[in-house]
Amino acid sequence: MTEDYTRVAAADELEPGNGMGVVVDGIEVALFNVDGEFHAMSNRCPHQRAPLCKVGEKKINGEKCWNENRGGFTDQPAVTCPWHLWEIGLETGEHEASGKKIGVFDVKVEDGDVLVAI
Amino acid sequence: MASQDVDPQREVPADAFDERIIDLDFHMNPPEETLIQYVEDDVAREKFENVEYGMAHRKAKWDAAWAIPGGNEGLFTQGRAEVASDVKLAAEKFAIDDPIVNVGINNAPTQHNPVQKNAIAQAANDFALDRIVPEDLHCLMMVPQWDVDYAVEEIHRVADEDGIVGAYGWFGPFDLFGDTKFDPLFEALVEHDLPLVLHGSLSFWPQDTPYGDGMLTWTEILGFDWPIHAMLTTVNAIMSGVFDKFPELDIVIEEGGHWWVPFVKYRMDEFYEMHPGDIKMHPRLHEMGQERLQRTPSEYLRENVYVTTQPMAPPERSTDFEAMLDLSMAEDMFLYSSDWPHQTLDPATWAFTNRAFDEDLRAAVLHENAEELFGI
Ligand code: FES
Repeated sequence: MTEDYTRVAAADELEPGNGMGVVVDGIEVALFNVDGEFHAMSNRCPHQRAPLCKVGEKKINGEKCWNENRGGFTDQPAVTCPWHLWEIGLETGEHEASGKKIGVFDVKVEDGDVLVAI
Repeated sequence: MASQDVDPQREVPADAFDERIIDLDFHMNPPEETLIQYVEDDVAREKFENVEYGMAHRKAKWDAAWAIPGGNEGLFTQGRAEVASDVKLAAEKFAIDDPIVNVGINNAPTQHNPVQKNAIAQAANDFALDRIVPEDLHCLMMVPQWDVDYAVEEIHRVADEDGIVGAYGWFGPFDLFGDTKFDPLFEALVEHDLPLVLHGSLSFWPQDTPYGDGMLTWTEILGFDWPIHAMLTTVNAIMSGVFDKFPELDIVIEEGGHWWVPFVKYRMDEFYEMHPGDIKMHPRLHEMGQERLQRTPSEYLRENVYVTTQPMAPPERSTDFEAMLDLSMAEDMFLYSSDWPHQTLDPATWAFTNRAFDEDLRAAVLHENAEELFGI
């Protein structure tokens, strides 16, 4: 139902390959744009509470590192945490090697707006 | 309380920004072409300009790249600090007030040629004096431990410069520091009031040995090779009387683990008390005419040795965490380290979110121990 959803951003605010941090009902949510598809999950990594929304942030002198940006996305599909590269399933919120899990949230795009259901 | 503010962008809890945090292991990686400019020896500089400097040319069995999704991403997971302003920018994000910078050439001891290695140490130290210290950052000088005479010369040259707070060397499969040949090095460090800060090196466990050849995973190599070398380095220094001869000397073990402290503490005392008779046969103690160590082995551990915390790897339950911190003498021995920019980065979140830490312990680990040790 539309009333369960909260508008968190305009779809064109978030570039593909990046994350954005938003707060919904006092809860930190990481919103991701993966090749034009939006995903949302709890913003704090189940490992050591890194802010997952920082995925895709350009590193200091990133052009001189193997990967230019912090963390990233895999085909699993998963988000790779910007701190220690744990891969967390975008649909499950689960990190396979540890079995640790965080919440994932439904997302939809309507009239150019991104909405998240908490 | 500030920590209750919700801010998705924040890398560490808000309270971390209100506490002084001194970081014992912050790597800076100046571009090679910049470092080469500082090499004074013409012969060495000519080689650096024309020959790529890197890992020793031999088979390499272990690679972190096989263990993580990003391939060779582990060394620069967070970025690469090439100049002092990069260091400040990175530190600020993680609420680190005082990153003690090392120039981070951890493959230096794996190189074979002493002229080349000494030139690297000299260049790294001059780079630090020229580019890091003037920017109000504290720094570790590199100590060429493979050549004790040169190491002493370099300590006398660099140690008293403002901003140089410690001497950076390596534990690993090299000559153990209990060897009396290191005494002039210790003497110079004590004279200049510099702690010896030993980091793991990229030498790892010697290959072509059954142990070295048997380990095929990064968890074994980085996770356990380094702590084993760290433990042996520590016990060797204590049992060979290094701290009897140099009671003012302090040694910091960086990235060699810390939860081994209780194991070493109790086991070292137990074994020594049962078998103390060979102490007097060690050349250093023999020369000093000493029958026994002057203190219980674990007392040297508490008073002369420090360990850095990264990665903290805490147990799940805070009561277990608290007990381990207590048994590990964390209030006396632990020094916070982030290891920025490597994949094993350890922001100090645990000190603010876990009930194992009270105000005193937090202050000791995050800054007081380092303030006292380095006089900063
Ligand atoms: S905090 Fe996310 S992988 Fe460690």
